[in-house]
Amino acid sequence: MKILTCPLNGPRPVSEFFCWGEVRPMPDPAACDDATWADYVFNRNGAPGVKREWWCHTPSNTWFIAERDTEKDVVVRTYFYEGEA
Amino acid sequence: MSAHLALSPVADLVAATLLPPEQQAAAAATLGIADRSDLARHGCKGPGAAEWLVARGLPIPPAPNSWLPLDDGGRIARLGFTEFLIEGPVALIAPLAAAPRGPGVYPVLRQDAAFVLSGSRLDELLRQSCSVNFRALDLTARPVVLTSMVGVGVTAIPELCAGRPTLRIWCDGTYGHYLWETLLDIAGDLGGGAVVARSID
Repeated sequence: MKILTCPLNGPRPVSEFFCWGEVRPMPDPAACDDATWADYVFNRNGAPGVKREWWCHTPSNTWFIAERDTEKDVVVRTYFYEGEA
Repeated sequence: MSAHLALSPVADLVAATLLPPEQQAAAAATLGIADRSDLARHGCKGPGAAEWLVARGLPIPPAPNSWLPLDDGGRIARLGFTEFLIEGPVALIAPLAAAPRGPGVYPVLRQDAAFVLSGSRLDELLRQSCSVNFRALDLTARPVVLTSMVGVGVTAIPELCAGRPTLRIWCDGTYGHYLWETLLDIAGDLGGGAVVARSID
């Protein structure tokens, strides 16, 4: 069983979590060109490495960030998002 | 009875699965499961929720995921940082539900299925249905556990009632039938069964 540590609820089996994908800052759709916008909408980063991802502890609906090494399949750390809502 | 039928999403199922009265005491000592969905409760959340509740005379659990008993029965649970579940007498809950909301206070619709499980073999049921090690929890800290039980997201409060391990759980009412049937199945395997609430609560 894989264990992920929720910053609020503590270590829990990964079955209690849902991954919402990599943290991807949205470019300003009014200011960026079509290629930048299309890249944001359609493309995802599949390269292995340490990624910042949105995760949610579903029983408590707690959203947080997990830094996960997708090459080694290791969670580096988890913490609450501290940027703009 | 009519109020119970109106408020509990599992009332019909519970009525159909209750043990005969002469078997309830033994089942409750081993592992009894009772429906408490008909208790009055209120939910609210938001950055102003704690202040709003304090203004209405309620104690606020200081730590996230903890609970406090209320003077006139019932309890208040802090779910995460800014969400609260209050369960207690109608005389307490009805004014809360009717009170005008303050800034930063948002109502949370509570149409829960709420069960109480109690008995000497409770931990065996938990080990079959949930991934949290409840034995490691310090009950004096009054923990609230938000976890998944047989695949259903639940809010759980473990405590000792009259010396017996007891667990209160709340889940979305639409999962009530499945959760009741599944937990009752396990309880039956362990020598327990469905009992009336006054047997264990």
